[in-house]
Amino acid sequence: MTMTTDVRQAVTARGLTKVYGQGDAAVHALRGIEVGFATGAFTAIMGPSGSGKSTLMHCLAGLDTVSGGEIHIGDVEITKLTDKQLTLLRRERIGFVFQAFNLLPTLTAEQNIRLPLEIAGRQADQVLFDRVIDTVGLGDRLGHRPTQLSGGQQQRVAVARALISKPQVIFADEPTGNLDSRSGAEVLSFLRRSVRELGQTIVMVTHDPVAASYADRVIFLRDGLLVNELHQPTAQTVLDTLLKLEA
Amino acid sequence: MFKTTLAGLLAHKLRLLLTSLAITLGVGFIAGTFVLTDTINAGFAQKFTADAAKISVAVLSKGEDHKVAAAELEKVRAVKGVAEAQGIVSGTAALIGKNGKVAGDFPTAGISIPEGALNRTLITKGAAPKSAAEAVLDENTAKTRGFTVGDTITVLDSASAKQRFTLVGLFDVGVNQELAYTGAVGFTTDTARRMTGEKSFKEIDVLAADGVSPTDLRASVAAALGSAYEVKTGEKLAHDLAAANNMDTQFLTMGLLMFGMIAMFVAALVIYNTFNILVAQRAREMALLRCIGATKKQIFGSIVLESGVVGVISSVLGLLIGLGLGAGAMAVLGALDAPVPVGVGVSLTTRTILVGLVTGIVVTVAAALLPARAATRVAPIAALRSQVEESTVRTGVVRAVFGALFLLAGTGATVAGVSMEPGQSALVVVMASGAIFFLGVLVLGPLIIRPLGAFVGWVPAKIFGVPGRLAVTNSRRNPKRAATTTVALTIGVTLMTLISVITATTRETAGERLDKQFPVDYMIATQQRDSTIPRTLASDLRARPELASVVAIREAEAKVNGRRAEVGTFTADPAFTLTATKGSVKDLGPGTAGVSDGFAKNENVKVGDTVKVAGRDFRVVALLSDDTAPVYGVTIPERDFDSAFPKVADKQLLVNAKDGVTADRSRQIVEAAAQPYPTVLVASSREVRGAFDDALDQILMIITGLLGLAILISLLGIANTLSLSVHERTRESALLRALGLTRPQLRRMLSIEALVLGLIGALVGVALGVSFGWAATQTMMDDITFRAPVGQILSFVALSGLAGVVAAVLPARRAARASIVGSLASS
Repeated sequence: MTMTTDVRQAVTARGLTKVYGQGDAAVHALRGIEVGFATGAFTAIMGPSGSGKSTLMHCLAGLDTVSGGEIHIGDVEITKLTDKQLTLLRRERIGFVFQAFNLLPTLTAEQNIRLPLEIAGRQADQVLFDRVIDTVGLGDRLGHRPTQLSGGQQQRVAVARALISKPQVIFADEPTGNLDSRSGAEVLSFLRRSVRELGQTIVMVTHDPVAASYADRVIFLRDGLLVNELHQPTAQTVLDTLLKLEA
Repeated sequence: MFKTTLAGLLAHKLRLLLTSLAITLGVGFIAGTFVLTDTINAGFAQKFTADAAKISVAVLSKGEDHKVAAAELEKVRAVKGVAEAQGIVSGTAALIGKNGKVAGDFPTAGISIPEGALNRTLITKGAAPKSAAEAVLDENTAKTRGFTVGDTITVLDSASAKQRFTLVGLFDVGVNQELAYTGAVGFTTDTARRMTGEKSFKEIDVLAADGVSPTDLRASVAAALGSAYEVKTGEKLAHDLAAANNMDTQFLTMGLLMFGMIAMFVAALVIYNTFNILVAQRAREMALLRCIGATKKQIFGSIVLESGVVGVISSVLGLLIGLGLGAGAMAVLGALDAPVPVGVGVSLTTRTILVGLVTGIVVTVAAALLPARAATRVAPIAALRSQVEESTVRTGVVRAVFGALFLLAGTGATVAGVSMEPGQSALVVVMASGAIFFLGVLVLGPLIIRPLGAFVGWVPAKIFGVPGRLAVTNSRRNPKRAATTTVALTIGVTLMTLISVITATTRETAGERLDKQFPVDYMIATQQRDSTIPRTLASDLRARPELASVVAIREAEAKVNGRRAEVGTFTADPAFTLTATKGSVKDLGPGTAGVSDGFAKNENVKVGDTVKVAGRDFRVVALLSDDTAPVYGVTIPERDFDSAFPKVADKQLLVNAKDGVTADRSRQIVEAAAQPYPTVLVASSREVRGAFDDALDQILMIITGLLGLAILISLLGIANTLSLSVHERTRESALLRALGLTRPQLRRMLSIEALVLGLIGALVGVALGVSFGWAATQTMMDDITFRAPVGQILSFVALSGLAGVVAAVLPARRAARASIVGSLASS
């Protein structure tokens, strides 16, 4: 794996290892990952089940602790931070989109979108807010509660929420996993537009080659190791690479 | 199905324990009540039996006067088969304390301590009196008055003359409530008769000669005495005494059980809520069971079975706690020197076990029936849905209508109760309407919880930022659950507020009445009701320049309109005014009379009538309020009274000091003047009020303590609801943490939610308590001075909020500790 140093990296990991359990029961989920995610790029992480892709994302996002190695988000080494500092970092620099249960059921769509800013005690950039809402096409649904929205609409609210705080990086964990293909395509093209038009950095974990084809670059994991990568992928090239990995 | 249920229960031991705790406490209280009263009863029975075993036959009077003529003793002694017979003397013999005044508010009892085998008194120190110069004291009086064996004590005889005795021993009054209350001095039988002036015996105890059975002896004694007396064997006597005592403890049992029932009701609400939440959370589990073929009946059965297991476990634990509570209460009573038997084993009867188990199990299962029915409504397809539906409350027109009807009925009945003549029936009406109104609140709860939550949460939402706002929304998101949780607390707070309002109002009203009745600095009276104050004391006091006024009140019995009645008088003085309900006190001049209300009503006397008092006619010029009239009867001017009853001494003196004389100085003067008269006691109005306040405070404290249990159970309910909600919202909490909510913020969010719930419960409780407290006091007496103890009530609200926060500590810690990744993954 070579690293290009001329492109500014939003997130980097060096010698990243993660072990669950101890002794005989120890499971090595990550066995020394070296990877960088360029600013303003849309990167997908793929791999068979148990390859460690979700663990990698959780570690990169500071949701889980690492067993070894270091992770930088921008110029901050997050592997050295306390829980409190990590929490504040998440608030300020990281956005999240999960597979399901992204929204608080008691809040309206708009309240959900503004929530990260409110937790951080910041004011929303109204121009950005309007633009984000406009892009996701939720204008008439802002007063609705999550139960009154379709799955696709809920995920779009989640993406809007991630974008509104202008984070250094957005981590998306199977954002289309629960959606039908049309809603999934909507969410994915919206993610890509936010990279193109707003210069957002996005790291997405997925097992769907079609979803991965929306990214600028795909990296492949197997047994806790980075084994391959593709630039400007298509669904077909991704699928071929995956099949080779499984073999 | 059975195995599945048990496996499910075992998988959640902690939850099971938390749920059980509410019922455990309720059952513990009820069982504790029975254990306590059974233990007391058993102890009394044991003591009575032990006492009665010493005598073969007892002779008692048939009437209420407890008098057996002294001459009968010789007759009994002459009966064949009697080994020994002793007369028991019981009267009054006032002990003089070390300050030269009679000891206590009531004169001590004077009793005989028989010698030999028939002695039933337990001498704990020293020896029984053997000569006319010796006496013994009960332990408690000796302790409080500072006498020890070997001291010389002074006791007033029946003619109020001082007699001196050597204190040769101390004795235990045992379970005799009367002696425990007044204290007692014991003498030899002859001395006791001389000191008390009693000419007859309270009882004659007989010991049978060897070989004579008590039954035979009873028959021969009864034959010798004729039908005037009741003759019992010792065994029968013990049995009768124990039965009479059981009647007394029944009041205690009923009173305590009332609080036990309140606690059980609160526990039932907690159980109902817990099972409702559990069923909601396990909807998918139920649906899965339905998918693989479980019938509705089986689902219903499994929930009922689960509640049954909870019921059994908590009832058994409750019985153990009850045993501990009963033993603890006995120890406390013993330590407080209450006249209860000590040193008896705690008794756990079959009835206690049955009542405890049945109550616990029935309440638990009954409370789980509705949730169990809800569980059967889960459709099998729900197993396939990924997300649990958020419960939304239907606007509930039916609910609103029913609730409103209850509120209206409650209000109407309250208005009716308040406008009734004050008395017991009015109070019952108000209390019943309170219960109806409360039902209305219970029904409307889910509808009013949202506005109340918004109201109560307004300040926390403003102060605590995002966690505050999220907490307030959370507290309102499931109105039904929140309503049941808070209503449990509302019950306790309502009753506490009610009681504190009633005591505060009683205190205020009685205080005002005392001021009206005794607008004086000192009240001088005698310890015994039938003794008087020599008139010299009043004249001595009047001679003191430091005193402004000395009002003497005298009373005598005389014929009024041909019938015996009380006649009284008082020294006319501006400091002492009577309240006239009709006519005017100012007209009370020579030859006129005032008549107390009650007496006037009974005798049909009106203003303008003439009453004949001791052979002289008096014109009635005023009817006097019963509160302030010196006597229940006829009050006539002092000069008229003195000419009719020249020898009657003062009954009571009311003394006012002059302005500018210090309280210490005036007290010194009054006490010095009263010093020569040992039976005359001086009380300042402040002391009278203080004693009254103390008594009220004590009642308030006891009731608060007993209600505390219900409140504790409702707090368990809050903790339970919160921890289940936390469990339900695991992923939500994880999401918030991922979005940047810190652990302390997450904890704070849950604490605020609990605070809001606690405050809602408390506010509703306070509103109900004050309203019905007001209504209740309106029915207790006329012209009361209503008083709501604002500080106390505010502290109830503050404590409820605080208690809610405390209840949230553990659930909040658990929520904050959970790993974000793990929680996001779990479904």
